[in-house]
Amino acid sequence: MTWLLLFAILLITAETALVTRFPALLRNFRYQSLCLALLTLLAAYREGSIELYIIAGLLFSLKVLLIPHLFDVLIKRIGSSDHLGLFLNAQVSLLIVIVLGLISWYFASSVVAAPAYLQQLTLSAACFVMLTGIFLMVSRIKALAQVIGLLLTENGIFLAATVIPGGMPFFVEIALFFDILVSVMILGLFIYRINAIFTHIDVSKLSGLRG
Amino acid sequence: MNLLINLKSLVVLDPLALFFLIVISLVSLPSLIYSIGYFKNKFTLTKFLSTQLVTLAFIVSMLLLVIVGNALAFLIVWELMTLLSYLLVLTDSEKEAAVGAASIYIIMTHIGTAFLTAAFFLIFRHSGSFDLAAMAAACQTMSPLLRNWLFIFFLIGFGTKAGIVPLHIWLPYAHPQAPSHISALMSGVMIKTALYGLIRFVFLVLGISSLWWGITVLTLAIISCLVGVIYALMEHDLKKLLAYHSVENIGIILLGLGLSMVFTRLNLNNLAALAMIAGLYHLINHAAFKGLLFLCAGSVQKGSGTLDMEKLGGLIKKMPWTAAFFLVGAMGISALPPLNGFVSEWLTLQAFFSGALKVPGMLALGFAVGIAALALTSGLAAACFVKAFGITFLALPRSQNAEQAKESPASMLLGMFLLALSVVGLGLLAPTIFNLLATVTAPICQASLQTSNIFSLGLQPNSTISPLFIAILLGSGFLAAIAAYGLLQGKTRLGRTWDCGYYQIGSRNEYTATAFSKPFRISFSLFLLPFRKTEKVKDSFYHVKSFVYETYTTKIFKKYLYDAGLGLLLHSAKRFKRVQAGSIHLYISYILATLVLLILLVKIL
Repeated sequence: MTWLLLFAILLITAETALVTRFPALLRNFRYQSLCLALLTLLAAYREGSIELYIIAGLLFSLKVLLIPHLFDVLIKRIGSSDHLGLFLNAQVSLLIVIVLGLISWYFASSVVAAPAYLQQLTLSAACFVMLTGIFLMVSRIKALAQVIGLLLTENGIFLAATVIPGGMPFFVEIALFFDILVSVMILGLFIYRINAIFTHIDVSKLSGLRG
Repeated sequence: MNLLINLKSLVVLDPLALFFLIVISLVSLPSLIYSIGYFKNKFTLTKFLSTQLVTLAFIVSMLLLVIVGNALAFLIVWELMTLLSYLLVLTDSEKEAAVGAASIYIIMTHIGTAFLTAAFFLIFRHSGSFDLAAMAAACQTMSPLLRNWLFIFFLIGFGTKAGIVPLHIWLPYAHPQAPSHISALMSGVMIKTALYGLIRFVFLVLGISSLWWGITVLTLAIISCLVGVIYALMEHDLKKLLAYHSVENIGIILLGLGLSMVFTRLNLNNLAALAMIAGLYHLINHAAFKGLLFLCAGSVQKGSGTLDMEKLGGLIKKMPWTAAFFLVGAMGISALPPLNGFVSEWLTLQAFFSGALKVPGMLALGFAVGIAALALTSGLAAACFVKAFGITFLALPRSQNAEQAKESPASMLLGMFLLALSVVGLGLLAPTIFNLLATVTAPICQASLQTSNIFSLGLQPNSTISPLFIAILLGSGFLAAIAAYGLLQGKTRLGRTWDCGYYQIGSRNEYTATAFSKPFRISFSLFLLPFRKTEKVKDSFYHVKSFVYETYTTKIFKKYLYDAGLGLLLHSAKRFKRVQAGSIHLYISYILATLVLLILLVKIL
């Protein structure tokens, strides 16, 4: 079951490279977060730990329900075209993402020793999700894509934390969730303001502040 | 590490510290008295009080600096002193020049402090303590290479503050901008604390382990002497002129200290002590006459409103007391007997000559160069002060300002008087002061030099000097001349000055400061790189309506060292700016590229 979920995460992540519209990207993020929540739930069941149950619940309610909902509202408010604006087209993006996957695998295999295949895969998936998130931030023009790229990266970090024996301390985990929620709100507000002032959210045109 | 500062060893009160306490007090007290009159009608009461408070704190920080026995505490007080003096340079913060000068000052001294900090922590790695005694013990077991580096760090660190060429660049900016008694404190005392640091840390903590240290200091001293005095000759701003003379005098003091380092290394303890006495003697002398001269310059500025010598002249009639005090200071700094500058320069020359007989051949030849340089420096300094005094105080006023000059209030005159008194006293009481200085140097050089005669200063081998006797001789000669004049002349006739056939003689016929320094500009043109600009407006072929003549010299250290370095820095910064394109995508892609690179390198690292 764990393997299945990890492969699902890998697939969903790779698919984000092909996405060209906001709603689809948001859906991908939602599915990815759902997989993550299920993964955590599985671990919680296996270890019988209440803390992990709470984290899984938080993950589900925040990243699957609340944050995507906030973005839905935002997209409707902005009302501009819902294209991401691609610097690189979908095919080239996919190729690059595959290369990033290879690099992640190389990293995981050089960090984690050979017999721990599950951990190896988890780490490589985590690394893959992080790199893809950053790649999305680089290669997509609109500001919304940057925010969602950041959230994807954060998912990767969460996944990586599960590889560490014992995981992250409970309070750190909780604090992180609130961090994300607050940052999403602020970023959403920023995007809304940028749209209101410049009538677009095209980041490539926001270069007036260079030194 | 629990307590880096051992309270018992926090204070060091050895003769060296006491000597510097005396030097600081010698200038501080008259400066404070002087400041009362100087600030009158210039600032509001709040500004006056706050400036006085900062000045007091500055003086206290200098006093603390010379008695702390812990390197960390030394560093803290050192920075405190720098920051307080920075504030004092900024007293006239409405002036743009003051802000610029203060910035140059703080940047230069912070570069110096960086070197000092590095040196202290390098020693700390060996000693495990910032206590001076422990540091000194640790230095004995260091590798020679590390000690050489430490010496270089100390030299740069303290040299920046002292104003050794080519690190002197902040002096001619900062000194003229500060209020005059602050200039007196900074130039007379503060830059000396750097020399204190040099003696304390190089002689007593590090210990002189190589001959080339002394030779380096001597070389820098010779360069500083000459560069300082040549630049001073070219200056027409009274305070800038004095600032350059500080560079020169630091050079002369360093001649003594450098010689002392050479002699210490060669185990010539008596000579080492003699050279250090000469250096310290000149140090206290310079504090006295440079303090005095800066106070006089401030008096001129307050009385006439300008410091530009080309606009002054004839002040001796309007400000007789200031003129008299300036003359005493000028004679002291020009090393005219029987005043104090003469004694210390004579001692330095004595150290050179006695040393030349005992050191190996090549070094003796180098000493000859040093002797010649010192002689040339004294000569040029005398010429410079003939110019400074003559142009400023003699002849006719060159401007409205000078014509309406007024003598300064009593508190300022009292400040100047006290310092003038010490200039004379330091000269006439030479044997006594020599003995006191011998007590200071005895523990540093392990040699005790004492002279028993309190009227004349006698040295081995067979050279004696008595400033008191010279004074009596000169005084009686002067009286005799006056008596003879009175007897022979009888009556005074008044006549018109011969004016070479001009219709009327006025201030426009006078010798200017620029003209006075022209021969020197030509002699040292290789170093000064002078250039001039002339502009003629003609009515006809025969008649010139107006003629503008301007002449400049090139400040080679600023142009070829600092400006070049700054240009390089700005140029490379401009190149790096290309990385900062303003695109958020680009910035994020830097992060991605770094991540990927690190992942790929994970096995190698």
